[in-house]
Amino acid sequence: MALLEARGLGLQLPDRSAVQRFGRAPVTSIFSGVDFTVEAGESVGIVGESGSGKTSLARTLLRLYEPTAGSLHFKGRDISRLPEQELRPLRAQFQSIFQDPLSSLNPRHRIGTILAQPLLAYGRVRDRRAGWREAGALLERVGLPPAFVDRFPHELSGGQRQRVGIARAIALKPDLIVADEIVSGLDVSTQAQILVLLRELKTDGALIFISHDLSVVRVLCDRVLVMRQGEIVESGRCAELFANPAQAYTRALLGAIPLPDFDPGWAVRGDPDEERKDQQQEAVKMKIAGSVALVTGANRGIGRSYVKTLLAMGAKKVYAAARDIKGVEDLVKANPGKVEAVRLDVTNEAEAKAAAAKCKDVSLLVNNAGANGSSGALAAGSLDAAHREMTVNYFGVLYLTRAFGPVLKTNGGGAIINMLSVVSRVNIPALGTYCASKAAAWSLTQAARAELAKQGTLVVGIFPGAVDTDMAKGIDMPKLDPNDVASIALKAVETGTEDVDVGDMAQGVAAGLLANPKKVEKEFAAYLPG
Amino acid sequence: MSALLDIRDLDLQLQARQPLRLLRRVSLQVAPGQIVGLVGESGAGKTMVSRVVLGIAPANTCVTHGSIVFDGRDITHLTEQQRRHLLGREIAFIPQNPMTALNPVERIESQITDVLRMHLNLDRTGARDKAVTLLREVHLRQPERILRQYPHELSGGMRQRVLIATAFSCKPKLVIADEPTTALDVTVQKQILQLIRELQRNSGTSILFITHDLGVVAKLCDHVVVMHGGRVLESAPALKLFASPGHDYTRALLAATPRFDRPGDELRPIPAVLTQRLADEARALDARDM
Repeated sequence: MALLEARGLGLQLPDRSAVQRFGRAPVTSIFSGVDFTVEAGESVGIVGESGSGKTSLARTLLRLYEPTAGSLHFKGRDISRLPEQELRPLRAQFQSIFQDPLSSLNPRHRIGTILAQPLLAYGRVRDRRAGWREAGALLERVGLPPAFVDRFPHELSGGQRQRVGIARAIALKPDLIVADEIVSGLDVSTQAQILVLLRELKTDGALIFISHDLSVVRVLCDRVLVMRQGEIVESGRCAELFANPAQAYTRALLGAIPLPDFDPGWAVRGDPDEERKDQQQEAVKMKIAGSVALVTGANRGIGRSYVKTLLAMGAKKVYAAARDIKGVEDLVKANPGKVEAVRLDVTNEAEAKAAAAKCKDVSLLVNNAGANGSSGALAAGSLDAAHREMTVNYFGVLYLTRAFGPVLKTNGGGAIINMLSVVSRVNIPALGTYCASKAAAWSLTQAARAELAKQGTLVVGIFPGAVDTDMAKGIDMPKLDPNDVASIALKAVETGTEDVDVGDMAQGVAAGLLANPKKVEKEFAAYLPG
Repeated sequence: MSALLDIRDLDLQLQARQPLRLLRRVSLQVAPGQIVGLVGESGAGKTMVSRVVLGIAPANTCVTHGSIVFDGRDITHLTEQQRRHLLGREIAFIPQNPMTALNPVERIESQITDVLRMHLNLDRTGARDKAVTLLREVHLRQPERILRQYPHELSGGMRQRVLIATAFSCKPKLVIADEPTTALDVTVQKQILQLIRELQRNSGTSILFITHDLGVVAKLCDHVVVMHGGRVLESAPALKLFASPGHDYTRALLAATPRFDRPGDELRPIPAVLTQRLADEARALDARDM
């Protein structure tokens, strides 16, 4: 026999906002057709947006409201229309914890009185003194000093008050506790304490836990019901429902939870289901796990990070391409069968073609190799560095994109990552020619993206600020960890994101360019020495 | 890039028989166009920082050390009059509780237009037209109707949109948002965060975003400052902080955040040992400085 069983439960209340003169208020349906059971000792979460009817449902389950439809059985007994007098003895067996502990604790009573009250009302203790003693023991169970019996609610912090609320709910050792949004007013660390406490106490009885935050429900509950506009739209065991939500609404609820993972695109993206539709039409994405990648300039800096991160993310094989393959020998040795060295000078079109002919299984091309002569455009003595930058940073990308385009096509579309830079978006005159070559590479990225779209190739442009590598040794500013850059770039491939500004500086510049491009230009111009 | 808001070594003291230190050498910078997250538990001092910047620190407190420079100007000690020009126009504020931040007996219209008329010198009709545009920009439908309504007729999310519209109305250089989404449910929270991000991108405004929720920071902020016990424990780019948190306390906060996607992870409240250690460190600092 189930502890609590609701069959076709519904509630209608008069809509007071629509009262007509001399008439009765029209009734409005709060929830309807709610079916579910709670077994002894089980914990069930009810989630939904505000206004979805969760709190009204909770109050009906506690028989604070009388349901207008359906039936509610507690331990086999129909309590849905039981008068209050007959309900009273049963109430000891289902207790509640409310959202706002300040308004649910009598401000003029000491904690001892508050906790002794239910005990006295149900004759569990003989007198007030015994009630207070018991109150002290209850406080200890919820991790508060027993001396708190003498305090008033306003003398406690929010987390402490919520503990008192819990202590009152467990005072009568009920079989069922209904907790309505009891952690949403608390900060993260207090919330964690309360959740851990509830989980410890949970073994004693069943719990119905109401929340809008699915992460919290996941911590505490065995099963979960998802409510929307007064109806249960989905229910199931937590493990299954979270892994594979069937309803778009559930996915939207999950997508709305900000997980503590860095993701600047989150607040820009819309509804995950809408997104999915958009992506089906537009952006392609690709799983790194099982893919075969070729990384240019793999002998140092971000290139090495790419090789390692690719393997960590489950890539099947990585071609570590470098002009001098001695620099990648250790990678090959450390990952036998996984990493293969490829001799490749990106400035040589014939070598690019040869590499494409050799590495036929590549589905991800990482154009990472770069050159930086570190000089102003007009100040430089010789133009060799400027030529070299253009040949590596622009022509190198062009040669490889042309050579590997057909390879990617035969392997199902695949993806290309072009390592651009924040300076693709704006020139730092102190590195004038380098920036110009990176701007050219960005322009080329846009062209490749458009041309390769029809064969289903994703072309990702990565715009990092200064990265902590040999190439940026002389630059004096906060630098990004190359491993972070590589993993962000690869995640962009997995999510089908086309352009990613990586790091504070790059994001600041991108935002600044949107607001006032001239200002950013002037600001960078100021870095020109002398 | 020089910072728009530059707080250096700020100390705030509660003037009582036993002076109490509320802020301990707090330094933080907000660059132009940047969103900086200020994270910490209740009592960490994050709201105090914002109140000092806004010049509305409690009357019995006093800045005893350090400076606040905004847009090249020292604003640590301003007169009421000087501050009036700054607040609303150059520094705007989005409060935590949209339920109490609006005057319940005034229509929405006057609450928005008061700000516009004061700072932008608009007349009644001009201010009204501008208010309609602003409400459209925060994606409120039927703005004319909303202007005629009272706060209690709007939902929490709608009220927060009204407050955001007011905050961005005079194109401020800096917006300070103090837990603007804590009172809202996750779905509405996401909409509000998207709105803040959108307005920020369009205007290039800097934002100091105060919250206890590391999740919100991870999605919105470029840079993160972690506070505890009135001092800054860690300050790092968001990318760096979430990839490899530098301070034990940051790691503890992350471990205390429940995540539905990692059911295997044990939820761990902040260890008492750590809290004790931080309190000891704070006491040592006080012995040094006071």
